[in-house]
Amino acid sequence: MKTAFDKVSVFLVKVLTLFSLLLLSFIIIFIFKEGYTFFKEVPILKFITGTTWNPTGDPKKLSIFNIILGTLYVSIVAIVIALPIGIGCALLLSGYVKERPRLIIRGFIDIIAGIPSVIFGFIGLMVLVKFFEKAFGFASGESVLAGGILLAIMVLPYIISTCDETMDKLYRAYSPVAQAMGISKIYILRTIVLPQSLRGIAAAAVLAFGRAMGETMAVMMVIGNAPIMPKLLGKCQTIPSLIALEMGMAEVGSLHYHALFAAGFVLMAILLILNIALYYVKRSLDR
Amino acid sequence: MMKRIKSVMFALWICLSFILTIASGSFVILYIFIKGFKSVDLEFLLSNPGGIPIGTEGGVFPAIIGSILLMLIAIVFASILAIATAVYIVFYCRSQRLENIADAIIQCMAGVPSIVLGLFGYSVMVVTFNMGRSLLSAGLTLGLMIFPFIQVRVEKAFQEFSRSAINASYSLGVSKVYTIFKLVLPQCRRDIVSSITLAGGFAMGAAAPIMLTGAVIFAPVPKSLSSPVMALPLHLYILANEGISMEKAYATALVLIALLIIINIFAMTLTLWRKEVKR
Repeated sequence: MKTAFDKVSVFLVKVLTLFSLLLLSFIIIFIFKEGYTFFKEVPILKFITGTTWNPTGDPKKLSIFNIILGTLYVSIVAIVIALPIGIGCALLLSGYVKERPRLIIRGFIDIIAGIPSVIFGFIGLMVLVKFFEKAFGFASGESVLAGGILLAIMVLPYIISTCDETMDKLYRAYSPVAQAMGISKIYILRTIVLPQSLRGIAAAAVLAFGRAMGETMAVMMVIGNAPIMPKLLGKCQTIPSLIALEMGMAEVGSLHYHALFAAGFVLMAILLILNIALYYVKRSLDR
Repeated sequence: MMKRIKSVMFALWICLSFILTIASGSFVILYIFIKGFKSVDLEFLLSNPGGIPIGTEGGVFPAIIGSILLMLIAIVFASILAIATAVYIVFYCRSQRLENIADAIIQCMAGVPSIVLGLFGYSVMVVTFNMGRSLLSAGLTLGLMIFPFIQVRVEKAFQEFSRSAINASYSLGVSKVYTIFKLVLPQCRRDIVSSITLAGGFAMGAAAPIMLTGAVIFAPVPKSLSSPVMALPLHLYILANEGISMEKAYATALVLIALLIIINIFAMTLTLWRKEVKR
């Protein structure tokens, strides 16, 4: 028998679920709608292949090829730095650390993951950028490399926890047999756990790459924000920092305003594709 | 011999990686603590920012309160949606396909960058619904950001919940709703509270979604949901990026990081405690 309370709660749960699942489409539709006004004036191909971004000039030139490149460049640098460190750390955690200290270390890593990006940006500004200026005698230490190093520290926790999940399962499965046969821990880790966890590592890399591309504050504070062709030791601009910096200046309804939404849409499209890929990789992992 | 060298290199690699990870994390935390420690006192915590340009003197009281209020709005909004969605997926959804689609949607939502959520919040709440740059718009935008975070964890907690206890409850003729409210939710309370707390910390530290939707350079402690607010992360960004006062910036960073560490440790003790009990 169902009471009125039952019926109301079931109804509420269904409505709220429907609402939450529709949120993503609201977000996509709204960003696209605002960006679409821009695409009517500037064709999308020209928007993503043109190299000049100059919202104040006359005529306005609004193309984001350099900025897309900058976004990818910073994120790739970050992954190249973070991936080997993350994999190594996860291997050590799954093979050598016992249950209890492991909980503490995982807790510490979670705390690093919880440090807000603006604090990383602040430290990057005070330490990394200054270091580059002093050590290499650059006029300005703000660079792709600074952004990449900072992002690498920020995505490390994601890489470690994703890798560790896969590696821990593998290690537990193989270690009793292997140890009974007198094979050393190092050998198990190197020849069984590492090669077998390739898909987990791939998932970690995609996840971290997505995080890195969407990161705003930390990157914005150390890359110099110049929409030029990115070089490892030169300034660059990323899509999130572009939006964060210029949204306040753009007049509502102007071409500039819509161009920023269009840039947001491009970023979101890239990340949605990445995440759908990640979803399938993860699903095949769980099987 | 070759094997030995490989082993040694491998050992060296994993040890170095581990040390680097721990060192970089500790460096960030310690650096802020050491640099900020001497500028934080009771007066800094409890007074309004002052001086010209604003922030060179005084404290961060409105920013602390603003950040806490933003976090509260975000977690209330996000956890209602997240818990309802998790309940539906675990207990009501009968089609595997729908469940997969829902999971994919939530994963994609988790992947939407926070600045795009900020854009969405700005165009929908601030411009279209004319809510202005306000506590409410910013809080709801943060809620959007942490919704997937809470949902995934709550769903996992529900899925780990003993199936036999639920089936026993059903076979006693207890209704589904009653089972969920009186058996599942209370038993999963620690997990739920811990994921909501973690998500709250995450919301509190985010600057990108709120800089477009409601956080401003200076505002008094907000009187209503429609007034603009100050928030610690944005305050820190402005102090540091405009070079207003590095001393105050370190102090603000310290306050923010200390609040977050407290929140994190609270959430962790909750989950740790649960694991001990299970054993």
